[in-house]
Amino acid sequence: MSTDFLELRNLSKFYGNIIALTGVTTTVNPGEVTCVLGDNGAGKSTFIKILAGVHQHDGGDLVLEGDKVRFASPRQALAAGIATVYQDLAMVPLMSVWRNFFLGQEPKKGVWPFRQIDIDEAKRIAKAEMAKMGIDIRDTEQSVGTLSGGERQSVAIARASYFGARVLILDEPTSALGVKQSGVVLRRIVEARDQGLAVIFITHNPNHAYPVGDRFVILQRGRSLGNWAKDELSQAELTQLMAGGAELEQLQHELSQAGAG
Amino acid sequence: MNESDNTAVADAAASAGGTAEDGSQDQDERLAHRGPIQQLLTRPEIGALLGAVGVWLLFWLVSAPFGTVGGTANFLDVAAYLGLMAVPVALLMIGGEFDLSSGAMTGATAIIAILLAIDVNGAGLGLHLAVPLSLAFALAVGWFNGTLVEKTSLPSFIVTLGTFFMLIGAKLGFSKLFTNKVLVEGLDEAEGYDFWNGIFGAEWLRNGHLWDERRWSGFWLVRDEIWAGLLIFGSLALLFGLFELTYERRATVSSTGVAVSLAGAAAAVAGFAALNNSDGRGANTIFGVLLAAGVVVSVAGWCLARYERPGRSERGVSHRWLQYSLAGLAAVGAAVVLAVVMNAEDSSQLAFLGGAFGRSVFAAGIAMVGLLAVLAAVGRVSPGYPAIGAVLVAVPAVSFLVTVQAARAILFGGLAMVGVALLWGAAARVRPAVWVSGAISVVLVVLAFFIQSEAGSRKIRVELFTVLLLLALALAATAVARHMSASRSAAPPPPAFGRWTQACAMLGVAAAAVFVVVELADGDGILYALMTGAAKGGVAAFLSYAAVTAAFTLFTRSEGVGRALVTVGIGTVMLSVAVRLLFVTGAELDKICTVGSDGELRCPQTQFGVVVLSFVMFAAVGSWVLTRTQFGSWIMAVGGNKEAARSVGVPAARTKTTLFMLVSAAAWITGMLIAFRLTAVQADVGDGNEFRYIIVAVVGGNLLTGGYGSALGAAVGAVIWGMISQGIGFAQWNSDWRFLVLGALLLVAVLVNNYVRRRAEKAPVKSGATRPDRSGIAIIVPESLAGSTRKAEKD
Repeated sequence: MSTDFLELRNLSKFYGNIIALTGVTTTVNPGEVTCVLGDNGAGKSTFIKILAGVHQHDGGDLVLEGDKVRFASPRQALAAGIATVYQDLAMVPLMSVWRNFFLGQEPKKGVWPFRQIDIDEAKRIAKAEMAKMGIDIRDTEQSVGTLSGGERQSVAIARASYFGARVLILDEPTSALGVKQSGVVLRRIVEARDQGLAVIFITHNPNHAYPVGDRFVILQRGRSLGNWAKDELSQAELTQLMAGGAELEQLQHELSQAGAG
Repeated sequence: MNESDNTAVADAAASAGGTAEDGSQDQDERLAHRGPIQQLLTRPEIGALLGAVGVWLLFWLVSAPFGTVGGTANFLDVAAYLGLMAVPVALLMIGGEFDLSSGAMTGATAIIAILLAIDVNGAGLGLHLAVPLSLAFALAVGWFNGTLVEKTSLPSFIVTLGTFFMLIGAKLGFSKLFTNKVLVEGLDEAEGYDFWNGIFGAEWLRNGHLWDERRWSGFWLVRDEIWAGLLIFGSLALLFGLFELTYERRATVSSTGVAVSLAGAAAAVAGFAALNNSDGRGANTIFGVLLAAGVVVSVAGWCLARYERPGRSERGVSHRWLQYSLAGLAAVGAAVVLAVVMNAEDSSQLAFLGGAFGRSVFAAGIAMVGLLAVLAAVGRVSPGYPAIGAVLVAVPAVSFLVTVQAARAILFGGLAMVGVALLWGAAARVRPAVWVSGAISVVLVVLAFFIQSEAGSRKIRVELFTVLLLLALALAATAVARHMSASRSAAPPPPAFGRWTQACAMLGVAAAAVFVVVELADGDGILYALMTGAAKGGVAAFLSYAAVTAAFTLFTRSEGVGRALVTVGIGTVMLSVAVRLLFVTGAELDKICTVGSDGELRCPQTQFGVVVLSFVMFAAVGSWVLTRTQFGSWIMAVGGNKEAARSVGVPAARTKTTLFMLVSAAAWITGMLIAFRLTAVQADVGDGNEFRYIIVAVVGGNLLTGGYGSALGAAVGAVIWGMISQGIGFAQWNSDWRFLVLGALLLVAVLVNNYVRRRAEKAPVKSGATRPDRSGIAIIVPESLAGSTRKAEKD
């Protein structure tokens, strides 16, 4: 187990006497998608914020490549290669694709008083990186506002992976999208995984999680219901766990057995 | 022109489709190549630019002195004081904030500097301390504004409104406290006045010093050829550059074509130079024809050298070209007859509509507006109808403003423009028949010479002649190029001489340093020395760049000279205009200059304040910062989506505070320029200007809500404002109505801006662009885009 890239052991977070998150254990590895499922208020946001460095955990361990770590700021998490693509998308709609892609980390050329953005280089890289994600941007000069929701997600994902992310946290990337667009984003997740990224996919939709996930963590009311690999769990079981927990599952199980018999 | 161009481009792209995979890395096969003119049309400042050209044309037609150097200096001065502030205000607006204290701040810095410097009760600090202190004050207020807006998250509108009132109160209060007056004066008696006046009070005299006056006084007439030659060279470079960017190259360059082209160019230059110096009308005709033929031969030679003649199969003739050309010719002819028949200088007001008839039209109009507005509100008539009533209301009102000459000029301008547009359309419709365009050009040339010989007023005789001749040439040249070449399907490569460009830039910087030192040693003010030095260095860099471009164009087969040629063309045309504005030309010499008893020439001097230089610098630097630098990207990001910008590591608070401080620093410069020009400052100077800055920025295409815009646009907006506010005086319109005209023209400018941008943003996308990409996911072209393409193709 010590070879895991990122390991969470009994991770817990308390706000005063409120238990926001407790007992979360899972592993995240390159080329794998770890899905974190939970209903509203289950502690998904807290989970993200701990990994992204916004909050610090109070109990348990966060182990990165064998070392216990604790991120004091988002910058530290980013430096460690953990990039987060938030639900509200860090995109400026009126700006062009390439400007958004490089926002905050523009490639520059020239000496100081005349230092300017290397626009041709930026456009070239943005186009190439988007092509790697399987999105063929017509013109990197077009504004992000003209892109569809799925394409915007792709820009954010491509940006994270280009700037050296090894772990990509996607916060509810499909929640605001239609069925077709969700498909686009799920495909991007698979593509990011195939490029060797470790993906943490936060969602409340087991139908989205099961096809792409390799490992599932289910959160309920701040507690982890468990940590399963894909072969330990069927999609129906996952849905059941999400919907009503073990008791409901038990009932369902008995009913279906009776029906079969 | 554009519409049919798009179609051609889209067709060409369709035939070349699917081959882009291996080739260009920047371009996508689904995106038809857009010609440079179309790319320009998507820029935010394009509407303002078109508006500026329109307003300039209007006043140029209406008033004789407006187009002269004196008139230009006059409106540029107004524009510069406004634009100096409008550029940073536009940047702040793009960053999503307003600074309502910016207007009051200009006056405040002036008052602080004077109050601190002058000797009140024996305690003056002198200007060496007072001027930097006022800058410190301005920066502090800017920092305060920015920090308060950031820390409290209050709208900047409220915060800076507070600062605005505080500044107004403080200005009045302190002025009265120290001087017991609302006028603060005595700057010119303060210690250190000469030094600082050399910086902020400098004026750029237009006095004919292109070369040293005495040594070169025998060569006064050379100067005409300088600017005219620059103009011709620049126009040709621009024309060829645009062709290069729009049309396909052939594999090998034909040297015969190059030789023909050069011979034509030489003939054109000779023709223009001779035309410029000759007064005989018969000779003018010959030289004019020489010029026209030279340009056409030069363009044709170039096209022969560079482009293949495409197969005839893809061409088709539209049957409407005859109607178009007849209508166009009729309109142009009517305009010309109108101009020639009524070319007296009559500046009396058009008051005939102001009598009983006017009153009844006015009343009817108001009644119609009311009635139709009610009908439109209940959905009975289209909302456009009340506009008819509004026009009826406007007619008598406008007739009070406009002089007889102006009405004629507007009529003439409108008719001529419609005619030329129709002719252009006709030329675009008959692509295989180059002779139709040629015939139209010939007709235009004949008309030009007809005007030249018949018109009584000098303005119409000389200037309309030139305009018509240029139009004819442009039409003929475009027709030849269209005939010889096919449209590009892929974007042309960038210039192939990047290293040379850097060397030119280095040379420019070095030259600028030398020039600054020389100017300083001459005893000119620091600001003046810095700015003229930088300008001269820029010219040096540009000239070497032009030389490199020319060498590459003539001696290599590099594909990537198109962009460089366009740059050189625009730069040279601007240089030509600058030479024309800043130096006395030979044609003016006889009229305005006299030879003194000591044998030296004395010419009346037109003064461009140093403010105009500062304005140009601000516009250039602001535009560069916004579009090319990291800080510019950050400005757009914090204005467009602050949270998003912050989450990817943009220091949003610092960016905004810097912008506020930038506005304050610009206010300080403006305040100093005002103070040193007037030496005495009213307590309320600058109050209320903040709204002008914002209006000018909006006219320039900046979004009121932030995140999008252009610094150059704001500068152009300032020029529009300057032209309108001064032009009304030049045109001898009733100046009581100034704000009515100003408001209406601003509205028109903004509407044109919006319209042009919306049209231009409809990119020509290949039809059937909905196609699966590699991952099997369709990239869907928005309905509106696909629709517009289809429409363009039907045409």
